[in-house]
Amino acid sequence: MTPSAPGEPIVTATHLTKVFHTTSRRSGRWGALSSLVAPQRASKTAVNDVSFSVGAGELVALLGPNGAGKSTTIKMLTGILQPTAGSVTVAGLDPHRNRERNARNIGAVFGQRTQLWWDLPARESLAILRDIFEIDRAAYERRLAELDELLDLSAFWDSRVRHLSLGQRVRCDLAAALLHDPPIVFLDEPTIGMDVVVKEQVREFLRHQVHERGRTVLLTTHDMTEVARLAERVVLVNHGQLVVDGTLDDIRRRFGGSWQVRVTLADPGADVAVDGLRIVDRDGPVVAFGPGDDGTPTLEDALRRIIERHRITGVVIEEDDLEDVMRQAYLDRELPDTVA
Amino acid sequence: MSTATAAPDGRRTRPWAHLLVGRVTPLGEVLAGGRVATKALQIAVAVFLSVVLWRALYVGTSSQAGLDREQAVTYAVLGTVLVSTRFSASWLNGDTVLQRMQQGTILFWFLRPMSARRYYFVRGLGELGYAQVWLAVTVLVCLPLGVIQEPDPAMLPVFVVSLLLGNAIFYELNLVLDLLCFWTVMNQSAVQIMFFVQTLLSGGFAPLWFFPDWFRTVSLLLPFQGTLNVPVSIYVGRLPASQIAGSLALQVGWVVGLWLFNRWLWERASRRVTVQGG
Amino acid sequence: MTTHLVGTGSESAAQRFAAAWILALRITRLNLRARLEYRAEFLLTVLTGLVWQTSILVFASVLLVRFPGMGGWTSPQVLLIASMRMVSHALFILLFGRVLWITGLVQLGSIEAFLLRPLPVYRQVQLSMFSVNAIGDLLVAATLTTMAVTRFDLPWTPARVALLLAGLLGGLLVEAAVHTAISAFGLHLGGTVYWSNWTEELMATFGNYPLNILPKVAQAALTYVLPIAFLAYLPASLVTGQTQGRAVPGLVVALIPLVGLGAFVASRLFWNASLRRFQGVSG
Repeated sequence: MTPSAPGEPIVTATHLTKVFHTTSRRSGRWGALSSLVAPQRASKTAVNDVSFSVGAGELVALLGPNGAGKSTTIKMLTGILQPTAGSVTVAGLDPHRNRERNARNIGAVFGQRTQLWWDLPARESLAILRDIFEIDRAAYERRLAELDELLDLSAFWDSRVRHLSLGQRVRCDLAAALLHDPPIVFLDEPTIGMDVVVKEQVREFLRHQVHERGRTVLLTTHDMTEVARLAERVVLVNHGQLVVDGTLDDIRRRFGGSWQVRVTLADPGADVAVDGLRIVDRDGPVVAFGPGDDGTPTLEDALRRIIERHRITGVVIEEDDLEDVMRQAYLDRELPDTVA
Repeated sequence: MSTATAAPDGRRTRPWAHLLVGRVTPLGEVLAGGRVATKALQIAVAVFLSVVLWRALYVGTSSQAGLDREQAVTYAVLGTVLVSTRFSASWLNGDTVLQRMQQGTILFWFLRPMSARRYYFVRGLGELGYAQVWLAVTVLVCLPLGVIQEPDPAMLPVFVVSLLLGNAIFYELNLVLDLLCFWTVMNQSAVQIMFFVQTLLSGGFAPLWFFPDWFRTVSLLLPFQGTLNVPVSIYVGRLPASQIAGSLALQVGWVVGLWLFNRWLWERASRRVTVQGG
Repeated sequence: MTTHLVGTGSESAAQRFAAAWILALRITRLNLRARLEYRAEFLLTVLTGLVWQTSILVFASVLLVRFPGMGGWTSPQVLLIASMRMVSHALFILLFGRVLWITGLVQLGSIEAFLLRPLPVYRQVQLSMFSVNAIGDLLVAATLTTMAVTRFDLPWTPARVALLLAGLLGGLLVEAAVHTAISAFGLHLGGTVYWSNWTEELMATFGNYPLNILPKVAQAALTYVLPIAFLAYLPASLVTGQTQGRAVPGLVVALIPLVGLGAFVASRLFWNASLRRFQGVSG
């Protein structure tokens, strides 16, 4: 298999669909018995016709509210789950059918679950993985040294995994996922529950892996700061369907982008109106402008118009919190004129 | 340093590496300060009690159920060591199927270039190998002390073969229980109950020869007595030569039967993971 | 409905004592009801508790019937030791068993919560949950006791019955004393759980047999270092009159209930002293 050129699709999901069939127990005294004979079947479509691709060397964030189908999508991309319909290609392989070969191409970190052995010192866990991946000893020592330098593992890798703090453990899991130098890494909420210092360390590490090492990273997260600081591209799923595949700005444009520009006018004349903007508030020389009713200009446009129109001595810009934007997105509250 | 986009060429660079993975459970025991010493102490106390108890029982009797004093004591000692050391300590690693199902970490077994089946097998080899080390040490310590009897040299190779078969049955039986976890019919209590049922029916609490006839008949129909009673009875010379071939054949039968059953169960289990999710 | 709390000062000591017991029984009923809500799990736990006693059941029903006895004790008499151990152990678990769980309670922060309530902390520890295992132990104890009592080869005079009850009480108190003392360390050191497990295991391993079958040194250790002999062997020797090989003078054995009570009171005092220096879990 030839290595992918940067930008060329390396992970492709085509019309991915996953339907779960569950049997539920009937309630009541005879529920258990009647369930054995005639179980209640229910089917749940967790993922419905999702298609997107990730290019080599890209860092993509997979977003969506709980139950949106993110985890199910990741599990199908990693080959753990078999899609009901559609296909997945990872580095040229079908991850489900070629599980063991695919395993050499991918690394995975699942934030709340460790793949390390609790009773062993972390370093020994990594050694076991070295043997599972059949990594040459010399190459292993080199990689370990490099990962130690980036993640500062030697400070605690002699401790048993069950005694590690969350931050230490996830750093070990990151090392474990990258030990065999996979071109593609999947991360499912890797920084959940961490303090801000460790979170930034992890993000710095991921950035390094993508920009210096050319790895492809697909990451799910609920942390909007993470998305803002890391992701070049964002894929938003909700109710099992693809909603947005683009940049953060695309999302802002569709779901939020509400902002306010509060200016202090040097010359508070009677007429402060600016084309296309709405006056939200006025308090003496301080005027707050918001988006107009039609043809919402972007924040940059609005600033330009205000400055062209008035002389100002002070400006405060309030942009919709990314979390607010995402909340709108999760609640399907699109802005009216941006429906594609 | 290779770039991340270089693909592996699939050539096996370290063909025996997978076998080394079997060290995973005993390694935790050995590296934990004092745990080996604690286990040695526990085994020593259990062996001590067995010896004292059985010698006291045999005061005034020369033979019971076809076993003389030395045979009964030896049986009890070997049985005690096997029971104390054979059951998997992988729960300390969070590595049992039950724990992995409960915590969702089972998916990692399907993300590695080593099939879940092979990992489980290699790990089992490591655990049972570790248990045999304890058995060997106990025998080597107890023999010169005159605590247990020496085996008939002609029977020694037969004993070793039977022991290996017994370990294989033991491994397969535990695999059945573990595979049932994929259908979530297991929980911690069920596991404990199975531990005691296995120990009882294999002769781990008392030599099966002492039990009433109906119990022995039932146990002959079950695979458990092949894990302990057969090899230990061969060691102490309780099994008449005419019955040895039959007993070994029965052991082989169980190994093969359970192995086939487990192969089928593994496939169903893997399919269940990929259809229903980890 | 008014609740009568301890400490309002106007009731008599007898009223306070009665009120405390009524409260304890009410809490126990609630705990039991909580466990009973999950029927299947409850039954499974009882069953598990039962199977934990497989080794002693095998010993009693399979081995003792075949052999004439041990250490000069006849088989029915050895069976009496085992059944006395089971009964006093089951009662221990029922009344004092939570003391074995002290490390868990400390880690959960429950001790801090208990310190803020107007009840003795030791009592709250005992009331913190219902040990369903005790039910399994009681069932086995009942079975063994029926077997032992019916097969006993000495007549059951009122005196002998009194000695039996006294012996049970003594054994119960000694076990409670030992585990309470260990749990006093458990209030401070998490590693104590290994010691209490080890002690429980030793008690279960050696507690069912006449200890005169052991070499003198071992018997002395199990009498004076870890008083396993006092759990059932020595009390049973009161009932059977089997005195040969005992490491303890007859007078002490005759006063086992008092010995037990003394040990228990001492262990409680020690526990309270340890509680006063309680520091809680680190942040």
